[in-house]
Amino acid sequence: MSDEEHHFESKADAGASKTYPQQAGTIRKNGYIVIKGRPCKVVEVSTSKTGKHGHAKCHFVGIDIFNAKKLEDIVPSSHNCDVPHVTRTDYQLIDISEDGFVSLLTENGNTKDDLRLPTDESLLAPIKDGFAEGKDLVVSVMCSMGEEQICALKDIGPK
Amino acid sequence: MQSAGISFLESLVSEFSPGTSTGMGLPKDYHEQCHSSMELNYLKEFYCWAKSAALNVADKIVSCYANISEEKVCSRALRFMFQVLNWNFKSSPSALDNSSSKSNSGSFGIRPDMGLLKKFERSLLEPGPLWHDALLSSGHMLWLLNFYAIVRQKHSSDMLWFDSPLAVSARQLIVQLCSLTGTIFPSDDGEMHIKHLTQILSAVIEWVEPPNIISGALRSGRSESEMIDGFHALLSMATLTSTMLFDNLLRSLRPFGTIHLLATLTCEVVQTYVIKNDDEQTWSSEALDIMLEIWTVILGRSGNDMKISAEGISSASNLFSTIVESHLKAAAESAFEDDSEADYFHVSVSRRDETLYAYALIARAAVETTVPFLTRLFSERFALLSQNNERMDPTQTLEELYWLLLITGHVLTDSGEGETVLVPEAIQDGFSGVTEELQHPVIVLSWSIISFAKQSLDPKMRNAYFSPRLMEAVIWFLARWVDTYLMPIDAAKGQLGISGHDEGLQQHPQSSKKVLLSFAGQHSQGETILDTIIRISMTTLTSYPGENELQALTCWKLLVVLVRRRHVCIHLVALESWRDLARAFANERTLFSLNARLQRSLAETLVCAASSFKDLETSNQYVRDLMGPMTAYLVDISSRNDLKAVAQQADAIYMVSCLLERLRGASRATQPRTQKSIFEMGCAVMNSLLTLLELYKNQSAVVYLILKFVVDFVEGEVAFLSAKETSILVNFCLQLLRIYSSHNIGKISLSLSTSLQSEAQTEKYKDLRALLQLLTNICSKDLVDFSSFSNDAESTDIAEVIYVGLHIVTPLISLELLKYPKLSCDYFALISHLLEVYPEKVAQLNKEAFDHIVRTLDFGVCHQDVDIVDKCLRAVNALASYHYKEKIAGKEGLGAKALSSEESNGEFQQSILSYFLRLLIQLLLYQDFRMELAGSAADALFPLVLCEQDLYQRLVQEILEKQSNPAIKTRLASAFYALTSTNQLSSSLDRNNRFRFRKNLQVFLIEVSGFMRII
Repeated sequence: MSDEEHHFESKADAGASKTYPQQAGTIRKNGYIVIKGRPCKVVEVSTSKTGKHGHAKCHFVGIDIFNAKKLEDIVPSSHNCDVPHVTRTDYQLIDISEDGFVSLLTENGNTKDDLRLPTDESLLAPIKDGFAEGKDLVVSVMCSMGEEQICALKDIGPK
Repeated sequence: MQSAGISFLESLVSEFSPGTSTGMGLPKDYHEQCHSSMELNYLKEFYCWAKSAALNVADKIVSCYANISEEKVCSRALRFMFQVLNWNFKSSPSALDNSSSKSNSGSFGIRPDMGLLKKFERSLLEPGPLWHDALLSSGHMLWLLNFYAIVRQKHSSDMLWFDSPLAVSARQLIVQLCSLTGTIFPSDDGEMHIKHLTQILSAVIEWVEPPNIISGALRSGRSESEMIDGFHALLSMATLTSTMLFDNLLRSLRPFGTIHLLATLTCEVVQTYVIKNDDEQTWSSEALDIMLEIWTVILGRSGNDMKISAEGISSASNLFSTIVESHLKAAAESAFEDDSEADYFHVSVSRRDETLYAYALIARAAVETTVPFLTRLFSERFALLSQNNERMDPTQTLEELYWLLLITGHVLTDSGEGETVLVPEAIQDGFSGVTEELQHPVIVLSWSIISFAKQSLDPKMRNAYFSPRLMEAVIWFLARWVDTYLMPIDAAKGQLGISGHDEGLQQHPQSSKKVLLSFAGQHSQGETILDTIIRISMTTLTSYPGENELQALTCWKLLVVLVRRRHVCIHLVALESWRDLARAFANERTLFSLNARLQRSLAETLVCAASSFKDLETSNQYVRDLMGPMTAYLVDISSRNDLKAVAQQADAIYMVSCLLERLRGASRATQPRTQKSIFEMGCAVMNSLLTLLELYKNQSAVVYLILKFVVDFVEGEVAFLSAKETSILVNFCLQLLRIYSSHNIGKISLSLSTSLQSEAQTEKYKDLRALLQLLTNICSKDLVDFSSFSNDAESTDIAEVIYVGLHIVTPLISLELLKYPKLSCDYFALISHLLEVYPEKVAQLNKEAFDHIVRTLDFGVCHQDVDIVDKCLRAVNALASYHYKEKIAGKEGLGAKALSSEESNGEFQQSILSYFLRLLIQLLLYQDFRMELAGSAADALFPLVLCEQDLYQRLVQEILEKQSNPAIKTRLASAFYALTSTNQLSSSLDRNNRFRFRKNLQVFLIEVSGFMRII
């Protein structure tokens, strides 16, 4: 397995790169892709050919994972697409401040205070309500291409 | 006046016909009485009234003196007659008559083929002997045909007349009369029936002949309705007669047979069909449909029913040439169009295949000429490509070759979905004079295609000519061809493919058959061809990056076929090219650029081949060599120090997904011979998987892959494992369940996008399905166990595991999620299995979990899906039986659990069992209960009644008191009495008693549904 080492090109400090190239033909529904500079979740892939005897091309429909806008792209399927690094990190919710920021407890015991609450009411309500009821909440923060947003929440409090 | 009368009759008949009646709140058996009294007493009379009404005005219409209202009366009368003939006749004793008509079919060519007309929503007409005078002996038919012919003659210059109500209804009636069959014809060896058909044919032929003039008229704007009706009439005739008789029907009228006419007609239709540029010619597609249906009917039969005259064969041969030539022309013209149908090979594929199959039947009717014809066309185009000096654009030729490969594939092979594929009979039995291998047309054709395919191995040729689309056709063809001709089963057994009936009678066909079956056999060129095909597959996988369609065909069709038969596998694994493929898969990077799902299929295929080694150890070593690098790599990733930082990066996720898919593919290919090495493979990665599950808890795609791998792994392995191995496996599964559950209970995902939100919901649903399948698979250990020895001390209690598993999984399942049909199916399968096998464990579940199960059962019993209701009924049966048996034994049974009263809605006020009793009786009496469930309903009801005797009596009383009609009340009362008191039913739950109760309930339902079902 001399090749083995090459399989895995990312290094721990490769955080500088926000995306990774991947062949368009291998990107599946439910995967991620960068369309027009935005990180998207792929909700539809279809293939067609350029002329009957031409090469295949993929037609992607993606939804921006932060602002929910629908984006589309067509890429020859043998070409590479940019795939965004999308991470989700869990933090315990400590406080919600008056000015719309949240205070989160990180794994190593520090706090993270630079994240705003979402402005959209549908996202905001479950967090605020849960917190107001005094539940122990863990929030998942989704991070990709320099943006962050709370994407899930879980009640870990004792019943 | 007359017109109004006919309208009245029309609505009367439609009201009495069960399909179209309006609901009026009367019991079902009343409706049925009405139906049969209408049929016996009035229907024929009504028909005759309408007939005489039509006759009255007919003369005037014929002599052109009729006014509009009289014409209207006539057309309405005809339409009404058509409606009457569409009646669902019940009284005709067709069941009794089947035997005699079958014997008819052999000797006289009349065959009662039910159901074949279904495709066009028409049915056979079987009114029975009572109608003989009205329809046959009174000259009715002749009058109708003449009437139509004369009126048609008068309006011959009027293009619109063909769509006038009078013309349409007259034709409809004629076509309907064409499908007349059954006991209305006396048993005179089919003579009368043949006469009837010939009579109609003589009229109908005017509608479709001469074909070229008709289609010319259609192109210039005439309505196609008359011709289409004519085709429908021909289809009815083809359905009702044997192929020989069908051909002969026309001979009394014309110097040629019906098949010849059919061929000429089809030629015209096909030629128009392939042009179809302008939207006005849409009729050609409908016409072609009917035409091909007729061909399928007359050529798709076997044995004596399908004998064709020499004239018929030559017509078929000519027709096939026309078909191929027109399609090639169309292909060449369309070659530069954009490929608008994106999923060409999937979506429209079944329809296209149906058409091509019909074409292939036509070709097979005349194999002696059509196969050499195809060879010639193919070689011409092949030669054109090889002579091409790269100046000419080859696209047109490529498209022609593409189409030729498709049609040739259909002619030479059957699709054989799900069954063993044989060489088509017509091709086996044809070519009787051929004894030399190189002269056999099928072999020549096969060779020319294989050597064409082989050209794709040359990079220069490949880049210039083998476009992805052409390659798709090549792979598709090879897959079908390999399945049929490569080392065929008959030849492998060392005997010829003697299909039974005519062995030894004909020497020549035997020798040509022998040549055909052995040329690609194990001791002949089979191995060389196999080698070529593997190399071609390798090429498509590595030299066509991103061409998913092509690679999917290679993995899912071609390679799968290669490993399907063991004697082929034996040769396969010995080939250097196969070892190259395996090596590339295990050790090289190239194949990681395939779509991950294809990698799964590739792993499955490669592992499958392992079963062909003679020696058990070699098989396992082969798998180890193949999968070892994968497990090593996965372990390596999961034990990295910087794992946390690296794991979330896209390339790492992609690699892990690919590896998981490969492992999953391998475990799907588990067979007794390779079970050992696959289990080692699974064990090696168990810890890594748990680490990864923890790490990727937020990457739903990876989580799902892990779960699916474990599901397939457990399914493949569980039956073979020893006690010790089982406990390893089971402990692993429990850990997996715990981790999954701890991450997902109480989680709410937030997203701005509703579609992302529903995606998240779908992902959750898929995960849960996988978990349920996992539990079900573990369960099966108790039922199927092949492990060689079992040591009680070490054995794991499967029930205990399921018990824990259920505690983990049930809180994740909501009634909302149970609306997904597949999930609820899996869920109820698991629940019913659990309750049947381990009721005592379920009784020990904590209150919350138990309530949850009961609530889901309540939901399931009222479900639409028969399967789910059946499973729920089985579960209720198990629950009630358990309780009853325990109580008899003096134990507490479900005890306190059976009395859950805290439900706020009051439904569960009493015990759970009495609740189900009430629900079930409600279901049986008042709802649209499906009889196929009667058995399981009886099984569930019986223990319930035994448990809750008092309540049952009270319920029966309640139901009886609610019934206001005294007659129905008495019937209901006696039905209830009979349900519990006949057939020596006693109060024990043994098999005999259950059986008796089943019978009783059957009788009860039949009796009760007549007056309780209100329509």
